[in-house]
Amino acid sequence: MDVSQYLGIFLDETNEHLQTLSDQLMILENEPENEDTINEIFRAAHSLKGMAGTMGYKRMQNLTHDMENVFSEVRNGKIKVDGHMVDILFQALDALEEYRENISENQDEGTNDNEPIIKELQAILNGEAGGGDAAPAKESAKKDEAKDAAKEEAAAPAASGDEGKWNDIVLHEPEQHVISEAIKNNSKVFGITVYIQESCILKAARAFLVFKALEEMGEVITSEPSVQDIEDEKFDFDFSLYFVTEAEIDKVKEAVMSVSEIDHVIADVIDMDKAKIASEDDEEEPANAHTEEHTETAAPAAAPPSTSNAPAPAAKDTKGGDNKKNAANKPAVNRTVRVDIEKLDVLMNLVSELIIAKNSLVSFATSENSHSGFNEQIEYLESVTTNLHESVMKVRMVPIESVVNKFPRMIRDLSKKLDKQMELHMSGEETELDRTVVDEIGDPLMHLLRNSADHGLEHIDLRRERGKSDVGQIFLDAYQDGNNVVIEVRDDGNGIDTEAVKRKAIERGTITPEQGETMSEKEIIDLLFLPSFSTAKVVSDVSGRGVGLDVVRSKIGALGGDVSVKTKLGEGSTWTIRLPLTLAIIQALMVVVGGEKYAISLGSIQTIEDVAEEDIKYVEAREVINLRDTVIPIIRLRDILGVETEKPQSSNMVVIIVKKGDQLAGLVVDELIGQQEIVIKSLGKYINCSSRLISGATILGDGEVALILDANVLI
Amino acid sequence: MDALNIAREYDTVQYIVIKIGEEQYGIDISYIDNIVRMQSITRVPDVQPYFAGVINIRGEVVPVMSLRLKMGLEPDEYVNKTRIIIVKLENNAPIGLIVDEVKEVVTLDETSIDEVIRDSKVDETYINGIGKNGDTLISLLDLNAVISEKDNS
Repeated sequence: MDVSQYLGIFLDETNEHLQTLSDQLMILENEPENEDTINEIFRAAHSLKGMAGTMGYKRMQNLTHDMENVFSEVRNGKIKVDGHMVDILFQALDALEEYRENISENQDEGTNDNEPIIKELQAILNGEAGGGDAAPAKESAKKDEAKDAAKEEAAAPAASGDEGKWNDIVLHEPEQHVISEAIKNNSKVFGITVYIQESCILKAARAFLVFKALEEMGEVITSEPSVQDIEDEKFDFDFSLYFVTEAEIDKVKEAVMSVSEIDHVIADVIDMDKAKIASEDDEEEPANAHTEEHTETAAPAAAPPSTSNAPAPAAKDTKGGDNKKNAANKPAVNRTVRVDIEKLDVLMNLVSELIIAKNSLVSFATSENSHSGFNEQIEYLESVTTNLHESVMKVRMVPIESVVNKFPRMIRDLSKKLDKQMELHMSGEETELDRTVVDEIGDPLMHLLRNSADHGLEHIDLRRERGKSDVGQIFLDAYQDGNNVVIEVRDDGNGIDTEAVKRKAIERGTITPEQGETMSEKEIIDLLFLPSFSTAKVVSDVSGRGVGLDVVRSKIGALGGDVSVKTKLGEGSTWTIRLPLTLAIIQALMVVVGGEKYAISLGSIQTIEDVAEEDIKYVEAREVINLRDTVIPIIRLRDILGVETEKPQSSNMVVIIVKKGDQLAGLVVDELIGQQEIVIKSLGKYINCSSRLISGATILGDGEVALILDANVLI
Repeated sequence: MDALNIAREYDTVQYIVIKIGEEQYGIDISYIDNIVRMQSITRVPDVQPYFAGVINIRGEVVPVMSLRLKMGLEPDEYVNKTRIIIVKLENNAPIGLIVDEVKEVVTLDETSIDEVIRDSKVDETYINGIGKNGDTLISLLDLNAVISEKDNS
């Protein structure tokens, strides 16, 4: 059964259901009697179970099944929701999340049965029943117990069955049909496993040749991995297939071995009875005790039947080893964006308009119209392309909801772990960002929230002393601000104790006491972002995960954004992350150096200064300027860029002050053109810019190509 | 691979004939995306010396390589006949090659293409065959060798 094509959808939907479960469980914890919530949870668990079953992820299915049972009892009013139960359910969610991670990484759910959780779930069911309520509850609990026992037994053979070869292939209806037809017509059906030499480079090509050789003498019914995956080289060094032919088995083996770089091949006549059982087992509910028993006997014998026994154990062994490698080799699932159909409609409309505009231009070119008509057409075209561009960008945008949704749960856990009461208030979850940004923003935000919960919020005693409410408040607000998206993490906690930070910095030798004297509050707070600083040791004694603020800053920086913090001791702090709406378009300052045009990202520019030649001083043979009491090194772009033209005579220089973190540098350019929105294009892989000065190129209005300077490399 | 070679034996291949210095070279037409007139090239600092820079081809930034410099000849002199040939190898990004002149398109079959006589002293070559078109000899460029990054000269 080839379900790999549905994997992306499966993962997406699993995500959604897990999110629903998490959200609803949070509600349930506060309102244990809420029927809507219970129904919602039941539905999500049920869909999850169905999906996992269809995809053949048994362990996931088992776990969800037990969760579903619990919810079902809750729904029938037989069990009451309590804190313990919610905790267990959250654990189960985490386990499911783990399965999902494993699947998205290597298409395999992993081997963790999560028995403790299943047992706990069972205990919840039994415990309530044992409490002596109604008889039906008892009965159902018993039934579940029986089911579970059967399942656990089934799990083992199923796992060992994984190590088989062509017997792993799951046969669908049509394939079964083909096989039985073939047997009726006195054709032979072989299961074949081909092992390619590990030194082979073009595995897919070899596999293709094997298929070709086989197809000359018969028909390949199905294969594992699928033909598509084999073509894409998504397999390790072996693949299995079912093959219908009239030729003898030796001939078949010979044909396969005739392809070079094939290590060895194992082939045998398949036994339809056993193959069928294997497939039924996969399609049906595992909870069905009847089939379970059946499989138990069938699965150990599921390895190649009778005729040639010798190669079978050997094959099993190698497969075991291969399996592990398989996991490492399979590529992760492609990233997708779910697009609102309306956005696509808008795109379609714009493209049609574009075609109309083009046609009018064509007809215009052939006719003798006036000049004004031409301009009109150009303007029309311009508006269409602008809208088109905007719409395409919108398609790439996804709400940050998908990332921030998991935070309430995290705060709940933190609250228990840190023994502090806290509440998370979120707003602006619908704010949209480029998909690539949204994928990356989760970790930094989590860092900041943990930071607020752990170090920001005070303990309850101190809060009372300060006249604050017992429950600490954390806010996460997202909103759009011009071309930026701003995400704020705010808490009403202690704020940053700058004196403590300063003391620690001096203690660690990061700054000298003299430096400490003159530093502004902002500069001290900036110390927190230094890689050597761990806030865990600085601001409070609360141990726990040292939150790497430097990681937050560098990650946000890599996305073209920046992070800043405002704080007031005793009242709380606000962390502000500012991100560009999209990565493909930036605001840039256009400059001229030696007749060539360059773009510098506005994000890295601090100020632009007019500096007289005589103001240049030398420190350690480097040119510097002293600007408002800051010594800034000067970089002459003419020299760096190797410009050959004559330098224009002028006593004043235009210096662009760029910053990277705390460091500043002055870039000397010949001329400023102005600010412009530019579309970033890659230079491609052929050109190898040794100094990495150039981060890309852009096409200007007149069609000329201008290069984008990466100021970060210069500093 | 084998199947491909067999197919080629009976096929004719069309080549675009270009001139660099006094020599004529052929480029397999199936790799050619576009041929454009010389236009202003944006220089990129600190790159391989045979890259003249980048140009804008229909909204794409395309790197341009000087075949002369790559082959160790005199630098280009941009004249009216100078052309940039945009080639695209399989799934790779397009790349531009500056040539002195584009002459014509010829069709050669396998019989009129000779193997390259390998000179033991020169261990690298950008040519994978010599085509005979009437009296003239056309060196057939091995685009993979030209574009690949073996020598960091």
